[in-house]
Order: sequence, then structure tokens, then C-alpha cells
Amino acid sequence: MKREPDLHQPDWVQDVLAGQRGAIARVLSQVERGERESAKVAAALAPHLGRAHVLGITGVPGAGKSTLVHALLGELLARGQRIAVVAVDPSSPITGGAVLGDRVRMGEHGAHADVFIRSVASRGHLGGLARTTATMIDVLDAAGFDSIIVETVGAGQSEVEIMRVADTRLVACPPGLGDNVQALKAGILEIADVLVVTKSDLPGGEPTARDLRDMLHLRAPGHNGSWVVPVINTSATTGAGVKDAFDAVERHADSAGRGRRLQQRPKAAPHEDIASRVKRLATADPFVRWLGITCTEAAPGAATVTMTLAAHHLNFNGTCHGGVTFALADTAFGLASNSHGRVAAGIDAHITYQQAAAEGDTLTARAFEVSRSKRIAVYRVDVTRGDAAPVSSFTGTVYVTQRTTP
Amino acid sequence: MTHGSLIPKILVTKIGFDGHDRGSRVVAAALRDAGMEVIYTPPWQEIAAVVKLAMEEDVDVIGISSLATDHLIVPKLMVALRSAGLGDVGVIVGGIVPDREEQVLLEAGVARVFHPGSAMADIADFVHGLAERVRARRIAA
Amino acid sequence: MNKPIVSQLLSTPAAHREWEQEYAATIGTDKNVINRSGVAIEPLYTERDWSAAEHAGELGLPGQPPYTRGIYATMHRGRTWTQRQLIGMGTPAEYNERLMEVLAQGATAVSLIPCNSVFRGYDMDESHIELLGTCGTVVNTADHMDRALQGVDLARTSCAMNDPSPFTLLAFMLATARRRGTDWRQISGTSNQSDYLSHYVANHMFFRIALPGARRILADHIAFCNQHVPKWNPMSVVGQHMQQAGANPAEAVAFTLSSAIQNAQDCIARGMDPDDFLPRFTFFFDISVSFFEEIAKFRAARRIWARVARDRLGAKDPRSWRFKFHGQTSGVDLTRQQPLNNIARVTVQAMAGILGGLQSLHTDAYDEALSVPSADGARIAVATQNILREEAHLTDVIDPLGGSFYIEKLTDDMQAEIERIVKIVDDAGGMYQAVESGLVQRMIGESARKFQRRIDDAEQTVVGVNAYQVEEDSSARPINPRPNRDAMQTHLDSFKAFKAQRSQAAAQGALDALVRAAGDPRDNVFGRVVEAAEAGCTHGEICHTLRRELGFGHVQAIV
Repeated sequence: MKREPDLHQPDWVQDVLAGQRGAIARVLSQVERGERESAKVAAALAPHLGRAHVLGITGVPGAGKSTLVHALLGELLARGQRIAVVAVDPSSPITGGAVLGDRVRMGEHGAHADVFIRSVASRGHLGGLARTTATMIDVLDAAGFDSIIVETVGAGQSEVEIMRVADTRLVACPPGLGDNVQALKAGILEIADVLVVTKSDLPGGEPTARDLRDMLHLRAPGHNGSWVVPVINTSATTGAGVKDAFDAVERHADSAGRGRRLQQRPKAAPHEDIASRVKRLATADPFVRWLGITCTEAAPGAATVTMTLAAHHLNFNGTCHGGVTFALADTAFGLASNSHGRVAAGIDAHITYQQAAAEGDTLTARAFEVSRSKRIAVYRVDVTRGDAAPVSSFTGTVYVTQRTTP
Repeated sequence: MTHGSLIPKILVTKIGFDGHDRGSRVVAAALRDAGMEVIYTPPWQEIAAVVKLAMEEDVDVIGISSLATDHLIVPKLMVALRSAGLGDVGVIVGGIVPDREEQVLLEAGVARVFHPGSAMADIADFVHGLAERVRARRIAA
Repeated sequence: MNKPIVSQLLSTPAAHREWEQEYAATIGTDKNVINRSGVAIEPLYTERDWSAAEHAGELGLPGQPPYTRGIYATMHRGRTWTQRQLIGMGTPAEYNERLMEVLAQGATAVSLIPCNSVFRGYDMDESHIELLGTCGTVVNTADHMDRALQGVDLARTSCAMNDPSPFTLLAFMLATARRRGTDWRQISGTSNQSDYLSHYVANHMFFRIALPGARRILADHIAFCNQHVPKWNPMSVVGQHMQQAGANPAEAVAFTLSSAIQNAQDCIARGMDPDDFLPRFTFFFDISVSFFEEIAKFRAARRIWARVARDRLGAKDPRSWRFKFHGQTSGVDLTRQQPLNNIARVTVQAMAGILGGLQSLHTDAYDEALSVPSADGARIAVATQNILREEAHLTDVIDPLGGSFYIEKLTDDMQAEIERIVKIVDDAGGMYQAVESGLVQRMIGESARKFQRRIDDAEQTVVGVNAYQVEEDSSARPINPRPNRDAMQTHLDSFKAFKAQRSQAAAQGALDALVRAAGDPRDNVFGRVVEAAEAGCTHGEICHTLRRELGFGHVQAIV
């Protein structure tokens, strides 16, 4: 038997960007294997992301997700899109094997040249699967697909994690006497952007839609900004509602923006610790650099910064300008309040001045967290001179947003 | 499940016209129970669709079930796989294949033909070994 | 069960105890025997297990409800079972040649298996030529059917066509009959395996049109035949596919009866009277090599159906209560190793079917597990039936095993198991819903896996495979014929010529009428299929049109 020439090429990035199917498939395999190259893959493709709209679909088993995906594929193809599908199936916890059957339920679209389907077995990971899936989506995004559908089954914590990799999250629920709605855990309902009742022609369709709307009212507000989560009835057998579901997804994509998932992702490498991140933020701040301020320590909710006073930091009395002291204290305040990873916006700050400082003094500002709730946090900052004499006392309040710090 | 960290990815499918798929389903379940990831399709897959699937899913081995006469077009499948650059993918055929036609298949590049009465454990072991060899060749390059 | 009265026992309790003790002392290690349906089997059956005095009513007489002993008073002694051998060969001309041989050898009826390409709904000019005619006859037009049945008097010979929805082969046959001047009211036979539910579950090759469409076309088909072809059996409810897919014998019967109930209810819902169509319902079963289990299965099925037809479906005519069935010896039990052993297996299976009271029988050739059967194999299969009837005299006594303690107890046990499974289907909303949800497929898949494990673990012996193996000389295995490529090429060329020369307007008009019928629930789709056949439309054209209008039949791939 002849050995075939091997087609693995070192220049795989170009091949992926060109949309070459074989290269895409092999790179996806490398990501799945969890090799060290997987991190290299993510890094190499990072500049090429953000074009695709990622749609996540999940729901309890038997919800008819694959049928829904099949119908959505039809809509997308009719609009001339190129679509990739990542279909996640559970692995057997006992043997480690899996039968990956979702692909075939997507019917004849699987053979279409503009459709690329990849089946993924969960392999028992929890967090690991979400990371793997996220990188696989990045590969497909870089490869030029217009839409990427991630289909997974279930409503538990692993599915919530996977759905976070999507821009738009759709949860499918079959009709059934309230049991099926109860099976949807709070986590998945909280992050859903579109809810679909499948097989809605069956009895129980409308009551299920009502139950879902009721559960939406119990959700904490403000998750999605101004987006109102629609509940849409569909039926694969009659075709009803599919266009409505598709339109809802499109509307969400327009309002939330494609590539939303990328903004929520911390740009830092996953293993960066808090101290390193905060110090990095300090060096990334133009005003802080301009003033000559350095961050020397950081911890969750705490930060220490220093500067040495130069001639241009003084007022007409020859002592440290009050604005400089304020800036130093405010810098410590800003770093400490952003140390948790969420962007914190200052809404109130006060300062009192105790003693003056002169040219050549090294001022140190230490910030620590007085209190923090979901939305509001308060910090105290003590500014001291090199001889530990108190120079200034600062108090600041922030509003914690949902955005992630850079 | 005894073979270390490699998880073979196997496509179990039928081409041609026959629809009797009890055997292929039993084999798919047996391969899953032996710790492999199996993509299972219904019968009547077009050759082009099988090649596309094998490429997108980066499978290691394709198992064709043929209980009637559909093995007669397996050589066409082998040609299509090579044209698509997938000549290194392992292919096995299971089912009813007369002896002199088995020879034709082996010459076309099929790794092995399994006949009715083959034990599931034997099939699983062979498929696993074949997948390991296919994978090793790819990584070495 | 009430204890039999001591004076009526054939053996005293003391004698029975003595037997038990001696048995236990001499048997050594005894084994637990469970048949394929899960029923426990004892080493000995006596009147303690089943007594005629208590159960005479259940047993009855042949030709009397509940028909346990047979649906007719005379059974095979009066009219032997129909010897209907399934054949399918390459081109219509080649098929006709084999058909004439088989009729001369004693077969009394015609049966046609079409090529797999036909099953899938394709014409020959859309298929890989390597696969044409390898497993059946390539019939795509009324002309082809005419040639295949040349020399057959359609008014006198019963024909069975393996012909799934939308039943184009029957349409081609009716077109042929009209051409020959044969009155449709004379035509007898069966739309073999017309049961779309069993196709969806277990014979996917026959499943062409989506479930709701297939459901409608079947009801149209039954209504059309009732009216225009009254001697034809349009409904053949199939247990064979499910047993071949791994259902155990009790499951096969339970699912089949549930399908029959579903189809009957669909007809009743359309306003048909059960007595109008139930007499033409026939059943099609596999016969495995589990000899006694199969006999009991068929007797139990007769008993259950008689009650279902009368009490559940409301049929008043006793002809509606009769469970008529065709049995086919099961190819799944045959082996590739030591193929001549299969002759013994087929003989046992055939005996089980005959003693079980079938109405028509197909015996497999011994080389069925290798490929399409050879001429010798087909001849031995027919001879087997002749030997059983005329040398072993299996037809001289009606229900000869009736009254046997074992057979009657086993019949009762099989009945209980079958009814248990019918209830599961009922609870799932009836057979259509049970099948749509995948419940039936999952149950069958589980049984298939269990059976394979028993073979792999050598609990179930298969001679030549997991026991009694020998080194075999592969050159001794018969070389099975492949279709004559030249003959097939000629067939294909003349088909293309036919399409070019026919009246395109007539053909297109008939297809348009078919499209309209599909969208109009008051029209009869099968009636339009017949008109299309007469207008020269091809099999593929008819199937594609209906798939477009009513949905392509996709099956679930459930492992």
C-alpha cells in the first residue's frame, strides 16, 4: 500500500485564513488534543477575530435543537452565508467514548460546500471544554465563516460556560407541563438572549411559552443592557416560527454587536495573576506614565503606588501641588477598585491634606477596600512621605460595571 | 478502555443503496464502549459527502458497512479520498463480501474486511490499532 | 392459576415429586434457560402448567375465534400454504426467465423484489451502474413490469410485490393489466411490506417519504384498492424488519400488532368501516430458528388479534378477526461459515412456520448469507417445502402440537409478554408516536445489543461461528453471480430511449396532477400514481415528485 504524501504544512496560519478545509480540520484537532500548540493557535489567530457572529444553542435533551439548527442553516444559506457548526455531544463517563450523532440530524445541509460541521465530544471536562470550544470557535472565526453555531445539550453549569463563548445565546425548550421549564437551570436562563419553544404545535406549547415568560420576569434586570429576551414558538414540522427565531437572532446580533464575546474575554493570558495584571494596567495608563507614578504592589482590592516629586510637581509656594497628591491617591484608588477585573467607574472622591511635601520627597499612596457590594465599592487611600508622615487622606466611591478590564 | 491518551475518531457509515444498518449500529456502540469517538450516519451517504465529513471531522478510520453489494463502489471511495488528500485515513469494510471481491478491496487500499460472525472485541482492537498508526504517521510529519 | 383438581391429574403428586428428585440427582449442573423473548423455559411441562380442562375455551378449534389452532377449519390439509419464493434478478428479461423456472418447479405464486435503487426511489440513469440489479430487478416503467411478467396470467396468479409507498410497482402492474385487457377486479396479491412504520423503524431502505405523507398515502392506497382492486391485499403489516433489526420474537409481534392497530385507526378516522378493510390486512413475519418459541408466538398472535379486531377496532365480521400471515425464514440466523448448515436451519425455521399456521412461506437459500442466492440454492429452498409437505406430511394434521403442555403454556407466556409490550406502546400514545419519538427503535437496539453480547460471550451457540468451527477452504464457497453488465447496459440504453420517445406532455400532465393531489386531502394520491404509471412516468419521477411535495423520508440514526 502506497504511503500518501503528508500534507501538513508549517504555514498553517495562512491556510486557515484562506479557509482551506483540511488545514482548519487539522488545527481544530490540535486544539482538541489540548497540546501546548493550542495556546499558540489562540495567540496566532487573535488579530484575525471578530468577523463571525457566534450563536450558541442549548436545551434539555429531546428539545429538538438539531432540527432547529437544520432550519436555521437553511435560512443562513439562503442569505449566502458561510456557516460553521460545532456540535458538542457528551462522552460516556465510564468508557470515555462517544457517539457523535448531532451532525446527521442537520440533514442534507452537511453536504453543502458553504457549511462546515465539526463534532466534539465533551470528554468529561467541565471548564476545559469551554476553553477548548472557545479556541475552536476562534479558528473558525479566523477562517472566514460568517456565522458559527455552537450546539450543546443540557442546561447545567458546563453548558452555561460553553454558552459564554457565544455572542447570541439561544435556549430551546420543548413543551411539557412545566417539567421541561423546571429542568432549565437558573444559570442558563440568566444568560439566554433568545428563548425558543420547539414542537410548539404539540399540546403544552403555549403554556410552556407562558412559563418561560414568567421566569424571565424573575431574572435580575440589566444582564443584557436594553435587550428584551423574546420567547418564540417554533415547529419544525409546520415550519412555523423559524423565520421569527432567525430574525430575533439577527436583531440581537445587531444590538449587542458581533464579536461581543471577545470584549468580555479578559485579554490577559489565563494564568496572569492579579498583581501582574494591576501593574500592567498602571503601565498602560498614559497619565500615570506621564506623572512618573509606579505601582509597586497590588492585591485584590488593594494597590500601592509611588512617585518622587520633581520641580514641575510644585506650586507657587514651593510645595507639592494639591492636584499631584490627588492624582497619586486617585491612581491607587483606580487600580485597587479595578483589581477584581471589572471596570469600576469613580463617582465620588474626597481628599484632605495634612502635611506638605517638598521636591525630592517620595510619596507613597496605599489604597484599600472599605466595602464592596455588587454595584458600589468604597476605598480609602493613605498618602505618606518618605519619613512615614501622613500627607493626605482620600476616600473614593466607584460604580462597578459589567465590562471587563483590558 | 485501555489505550492511553489517544482517543480515536471513527466514522461508521454506509454508501450505496442498501439500508440494513443493524450491524453498523451494533459496531458503533461497541466502538464507543471501547472508548472511541464515533460519528455515525444513516445509510445512503454519497461518496462526496463521506469525503467531506472525513475531512471536516479529521477522522482516523472510516468503517463501511456493506451487507448487500455496496462494497462494489468502495474502490470509488478510495479514489475520492486520495484525491482529497485523505489517502492516509484508514478504511475497513464490514459485512458480506465474497472472497474474490475482498481481494479487490484490499488491493484498492482497504485495510481489512470483517465478515459476519466477527467478534466485536476483535473489530474494536483492530480499529484502535489502525487509528494509532494513522495518527502516528500524521504527527510524525 | 387455579390448582388442578387431584382426580384430573395424569400423574399423582407422589410420582411428580419422584421425578423431580431423580431429575435433580442426575442432571448435575442444570442451566437456566430463557428464550429469546425473555420467557423462562422449564425442563418438563405437565398438566400442572396447562390443563385442557381449564383452558378449552382459550384453545378453541380451528376456524373458530380466537383461532389459536388456526384461522381456517381446514388449514393446510385443505389448501396448502402458498409457496411464494422471493426473486429478483437484474433485468426484467432475466427475471422472467428465473420466474418461469421457479413456477415450473412448483412455486404457486409470483413475487418480485426490485433492485435497491428502486427501493431508494431512483431511476437507473441516476444510479451507480455497478449496483444496478445486484439485489433485485430494475423496474422503472410499466413496460418493464410487462416484460418481467410476460407469460403470467394476472387474472389467475397471485402476485406479491415488495413495494413501499407510493406503491409504483402495483401501479405498473395495473397499467400492464389494463394493456392486456385483464380486469382489475380479477387481480390478486399483496402490496408486500406496505407498512411504513416498520420501514421507519427498521427497514430504512424502504422509507422514502416523510412520516405524515407516508401515513396519508397508505390510507389512500387502502381506499383505492378496496374500491378498484378488491382481491388485492393493500396492507401488509411487517414484523420481519424489526425482528431482523434485533427485536426479540415477542417484541416483533407486539410492535406489529400495534402498527396494525394504528393503521386501522387511521382508516377508521377517514370514515372507513373496519369490516371493509380488515379482511385484507395481512401480516409478514420472520421465523427464527428458536423452534418452539416461534410456533407459540404465532398462536399467541392469532389469539390476541382476534380480540383486538373485535373489541378494540369494532369489527363484526369474523373475516376481520383472522390473522393471516406470510412467514419468511430468518436470514439473520444463517451463517457464512459452513453455509450448507443453513439448509438444516431453514428446515427448522420452515417447520416452525408451518406448525405455527402460516398462510404463505418463503424459504431462504443456504447461500443467502453470502450474496444473492444461486440457482441451486433457490431450488433446494423450494424442495425443502415440498419435502416437508409431501414426505414429512406436515399438512395432514391441523395444529398437531395443540394440547401439548409446553406449547400451550408457552403460547400463554408469549401472549402475556406481547400484551405487556403492546401496553408500553399504547402508553406512549400509540405506534405512530412511539416510533416518531424513537422509543421503539431504542428498545430494538437494546435487544440487538443483548443478543450480540450473548453470542460474543458464547452463551448462545452459533455453529461454525463461536463453536464447532472448522478450517474452511474458501474455494469451496460458491461464487455468486453478478448481473450481466452488458444486459444491464442495454436495459439502461433502452430506458433512455423510452424517455426520449414518450409523450412528454402526457407524462408532465400526470406529474402535475400528482402534485395537485398531494396538496388536496380529498384527492387520492395513489390513484394519481396509477394514472402517472399509465402515462409513461418513471418510478424515479413519481418518487421525486412526492418527496418534494410531502417531504423526504429521513430516518433517525439512533445507536
